[in-house]
Amino acid sequence: MTDRKLKNIFVQGAVAASFIADSIQQHSHKTAIGGHSIFLGQVRADEIDGKKVAAIEYTTYEAMALEKMHLIREDIFAKYPLTCMHVYHSIGLVRTGEICLFVFTSAPHRKAAIDACEETVERLKIELPIWGKELFEGEGYQWKENR
Amino acid sequence: MQVTVLLFGSLTDIAGVNRLVLDNVPDTHTLIQQLNERYPGLQAAHCLLAVNYELVKDNTPLPENAEVALLPPYSGG
Repeated sequence: MTDRKLKNIFVQGAVAASFIADSIQQHSHKTAIGGHSIFLGQVRADEIDGKKVAAIEYTTYEAMALEKMHLIREDIFAKYPLTCMHVYHSIGLVRTGEICLFVFTSAPHRKAAIDACEETVERLKIELPIWGKELFEGEGYQWKENR
Repeated sequence: MQVTVLLFGSLTDIAGVNRLVLDNVPDTHTLIQQLNERYPGLQAAHCLLAVNYELVKDNTPLPENAEVALLPPYSGG
């Protein structure tokens, strides 16, 4: 446990496209950056036993998730020459077609940005205590499990 | 000595609660035993245990006022 102020990655509901655009715009003054890599996770309309997913409701063990994200961030910055990295994950309801994850890495050169983005996405899916409850059209739900 | 237990994901459906306070649990094995007795549905559940945000595997002594979390498989991202 720590008394460091940890970066908050959680946003209520879907990540808006305008938020993503604004984030890109906000980096235009960082003129050492030569490449950005962006990953967007979108809620997919999976079909399970004849029922279609209408939305996912996300919950998290927030204190632990922020600690673990901090450790991932430190590892990624130690490994790749990045200018910056931003991670946003939805909490609460996100409908199919909406964005639930936004990972954004920036570096002077593209390879670091691309590789760091990919590694961050893979690690957070494995290591962050976040759960998605898939809500079906009509009624019913199922707890998602990452593959 | 008291510990707080947090349940997440599908475990909240099984137990019907997401937070408990337990007394007299010196270690994680005792805690699991007590939880399984109180909520038999948990016995079949597959989950990890975290003590004060750190995952633990083997029987682990619980400090006073520890926060223990029962974590089913993650599905974020």
